[in-house]
Amino acid sequence: MQNTTTGPVGRSRPRAARLRRGAAIGAVGVLFMGLASACGGDDSGSEADGKVTLTVATFNEFGYEELIEQYMEENPDIKVVQKKTGTWEEHRDNLYTKLAAGSGLSDIEAIEGDGMAAILEEADAFTDLTDPEVEGRWLDWKTEGGTSTDGQLIGYGTDAGPEGICYRADLFEQAGLPTDREEVEALFTDWDTYFATGKEFVEKMPDVAWYDSSKGTSQAMINQLEFPFEDADNNVVALENPEVKAVFDKVTEMQAAGLATDLDQWSDDWVAAFQNDGFATMACPPWMLGVIEGNADGVEGWDLANAFPGGGGNWGGSYLTVPAQSEHPEEAMALANWLTAPEQQIKAYEAKGPFPSQEEALGDPQLTDSVNAFFNDAPTGEIYSERAAAVEVQPYKGPKYGDIITAFQAAILRVDQGQESPDEAWESFAADVERIG
Amino acid sequence: MTRRPGFLVYGLLTAFIIGSTAPLYWSLLVGSHTKDVVTRDVPPLLPGGHFFDNAQRVFETVEFWKALGNSLLVSTVCATSVVFFCTLAGYAFAKLRFRGSAPLMIFVVATLAVPTQLGVIPLFIQMAKLGWTGHLWAIMVPMLVTAFGVFFMRQYLVDAIPDELIEAARVDGCSMIRTFWNVAVPAARPAAAILWLFTFMTVWTDFFWPMIALPATNPTVQIALQQLQSGYYVDYSLVLAGAVLSTIPLLVLFVLTGRQLVAGIMQGAVKG
Amino acid sequence: MSLDHPVAPAGDVVSTTSPAGATTAPRSTTEVPVPREPRRRTLRHRLSRLDVQLSPYLYISPFFILFLVVGLFPLIYTGYVSVHQWSLIGGQGEFVGLENYRAVFEDRYFWRALRNTFSIFVLSSVPQVCIAMVLAGLLDTQLRGRTFWRMGILVPFVVAPAAVTLIFGNLFGDRYGLVNDALGLVGIDAIAWHVDTFASHIAIASMVNWRWTGYNALILLAAMQAVPRDLYESAAIDGAGKIRQFLSVTVPMIRPTIIFVIITTTIGGLQIFTEARLFDNVGLGGSDRQWQTVTLYLWEIGWRVRNLGMASAVAWLLFLFIVAVALLNLVLTRRIGGGSR
Repeated sequence: MQNTTTGPVGRSRPRAARLRRGAAIGAVGVLFMGLASACGGDDSGSEADGKVTLTVATFNEFGYEELIEQYMEENPDIKVVQKKTGTWEEHRDNLYTKLAAGSGLSDIEAIEGDGMAAILEEADAFTDLTDPEVEGRWLDWKTEGGTSTDGQLIGYGTDAGPEGICYRADLFEQAGLPTDREEVEALFTDWDTYFATGKEFVEKMPDVAWYDSSKGTSQAMINQLEFPFEDADNNVVALENPEVKAVFDKVTEMQAAGLATDLDQWSDDWVAAFQNDGFATMACPPWMLGVIEGNADGVEGWDLANAFPGGGGNWGGSYLTVPAQSEHPEEAMALANWLTAPEQQIKAYEAKGPFPSQEEALGDPQLTDSVNAFFNDAPTGEIYSERAAAVEVQPYKGPKYGDIITAFQAAILRVDQGQESPDEAWESFAADVERIG
Repeated sequence: MTRRPGFLVYGLLTAFIIGSTAPLYWSLLVGSHTKDVVTRDVPPLLPGGHFFDNAQRVFETVEFWKALGNSLLVSTVCATSVVFFCTLAGYAFAKLRFRGSAPLMIFVVATLAVPTQLGVIPLFIQMAKLGWTGHLWAIMVPMLVTAFGVFFMRQYLVDAIPDELIEAARVDGCSMIRTFWNVAVPAARPAAAILWLFTFMTVWTDFFWPMIALPATNPTVQIALQQLQSGYYVDYSLVLAGAVLSTIPLLVLFVLTGRQLVAGIMQGAVKG
Repeated sequence: MSLDHPVAPAGDVVSTTSPAGATTAPRSTTEVPVPREPRRRTLRHRLSRLDVQLSPYLYISPFFILFLVVGLFPLIYTGYVSVHQWSLIGGQGEFVGLENYRAVFEDRYFWRALRNTFSIFVLSSVPQVCIAMVLAGLLDTQLRGRTFWRMGILVPFVVAPAAVTLIFGNLFGDRYGLVNDALGLVGIDAIAWHVDTFASHIAIASMVNWRWTGYNALILLAAMQAVPRDLYESAAIDGAGKIRQFLSVTVPMIRPTIIFVIITTTIGGLQIFTEARLFDNVGLGGSDRQWQTVTLYLWEIGWRVRNLGMASAVAWLLFLFIVAVALLNLVLTRRIGGGSR
């Protein structure tokens, strides 16, 4: 196959040849310039105009958008860029990858409460945020959760997750249960009543489950145990702890009784169940309100009860950390300090629902007066303040907590899905715990 | 004997093409309606009017422009680099004699089947040491050359360039590089175009390594897609609008160059 | 000028349909091109000679250097990492011998991943090759609008695996997916695609099949078109129908290409990652690792468990396995290819 443009060349057309060679060199040059410029996608903190750029990496919704605007207005020398990821798991993968790479972390990285203990193991990679100004800012357990074994404060608490019960008043009515916010409280005083009511409910409404997922319910129950999976010395006790087994047994028993949707929390079908009257109640930390509102768009009848089985419980809540990689640790610390101050946290709560973990914020009328229209105008601020006060036990979460709770919930899900009998699922959970170490 | 196909053949092929395009159409359907469409009892048959709303949400949710730019840059650079270096090496193997050429070519062929993506761990460790993780560099460097490219170009050039042509150029006093440039490069153009296209598509659609090497903040299109899905709840109108958006550039490329692509695959030596 | 032309003997063309099987690299002699030189060497001559001798190495060196650095070295270094304690964050630890391999072999999820990979691979390769054969047979006729049909079946190939997975993940929704809706119409109960092990394998295999069948059909078609037409005529004279002709003429004639397609499909199939990773938004392959593949397992160990040493052991094992398959392929194609010629 001969290209007609090619002819034997050489001396006869030296100029053309030289030109072409020039073009070749040019092409290679462009290639490498492309490479070089591609390398420039760096977020180096300082900019030409002398501003310091701080990046804040969060996951899900922290409600910081307007606060960041405000901060930039008040601090004209600082530019803040927020980088949002979907889930904590995704965010965590990113975080550890960059931690391993030794570069690329944001100036402020948000950490989910369940994963904080594992992060404290890597305390060297983070800045000590100890500051007299923030002493006593948070509820005690929150501060403890962000403090490393040698007393460095690695994380500033953001929100907390005191739980109430969200319920579908319209479905309750159809099942002949009370619908009024105050009246339903009696149904949710302890787990036995809660489950008994559930059995009553599913009898009348066989197509609707009582709660959204075994996963969510088991998480709520685990969050009421003092040392669920690890003892104070971080020894794994998940298998020996009778309370854990009791939770497992109860949840799988209730699943067998038809109380659960058998759906994986956060799965597509779980999301779809909000639109299809899939279930009537769910454990409801404040940040869940936004999730329900988003998923149940157009559904009427959701309400929030000021009660939780077994008293109180906390689910979720995060921290802000400043990685040692940050080029502007002082500025980052100042920003983290400001963002987690009570006034700001209340605004974040108003924006997206993360409930303050700051002592001072809890009594603030701005918080306690807030209502949520989607939840039948429930006085959410007041309810959650009371729910927060009702939390008696904060589970101890060691470095393996995150991995073990994941395995625990996977075991329960296998029972939901009919993959394994409860006994088999417990066996394989035991194997998983061994594997985790 | 004539082999004119009957209705059956056309019917089967039509069914197949419908099957080949239906999932994309479904993606467009879901992506152009509001999110409740997925749970409706009767799915819609025609696209709705919300595609641009959903597309806008895609751009708001993830850094899709940046992702598009990144993918375009990475794919272009890699495809160009592969074509350049592999044509050079392929030409040497096809037309030049040198000591060790045979064993080296066997080496190239042998590595064709080697799944280099299994080297991700040291690659990651090295990139971390160099401080490249998070940069597009990390994605490009492993894809600058491919053994397949060398093999492909060699196969093509062996036949495409008559030896006499090279001889003539040499007799005329052309240096080696000028002979390459004046004789081999023009002859290699059709194969180079195909190789470029394939490398571009391979890099554009790659997921595993970018997922490891790039953070969420500096994504390629595929990583941006994953981010759309990774929320606490999956909004399929959003996700599938993103899937459509991410496919449009390649679809355009396909419409423009599909003929060559088909020819390239049918020349055989094209491996995914 | 009396320089030998620096051209390799032409004619050692390797069958272009089968890259993996093409082991015959240029049969060029190992002799160095020794130009017959005039007695008096001018500088120009010497430079020219140097040009001839060095240029080939110069041309292949960018490829080899880059390939060694980013392709081969990492693979070998994987072996080194695999015999050390090596955490994602902490980096290299002490030498532990085969400890990581033992940990892999003792992990039931590894075996499960192996099982899943194998099952998905079979489900994706067998139907894929069979359908591609039929499709190629359909295309190997005197169609009108040939390019249209050929391009049409290639459309899925331009959709990236990530996008394919998101689309199919939706189609295969457990309760509200379109596939289950369709099954419902014909009276089949909804299938839990994200729960049932086998169903999830079918769903994932269908993604792979959808994307690659048309592509492989084109490769097979190319081989079919090289089959001499008179073979069909004589078969027709012997009274063989279309299907009979296809089975007894086409299939044996293109066997090397079929094997090539099978092998590339195998190598791809053993490394399935994207589809398994994105099939749900958790990304670990299901509550019971129903569809976790070996590559996904590798990722989990390396980046979720953060144990790069153990992950390297997985990579190395998978690597050896794939190389073994590739070698087997080489032997097979050679034997079969040689036999039919």
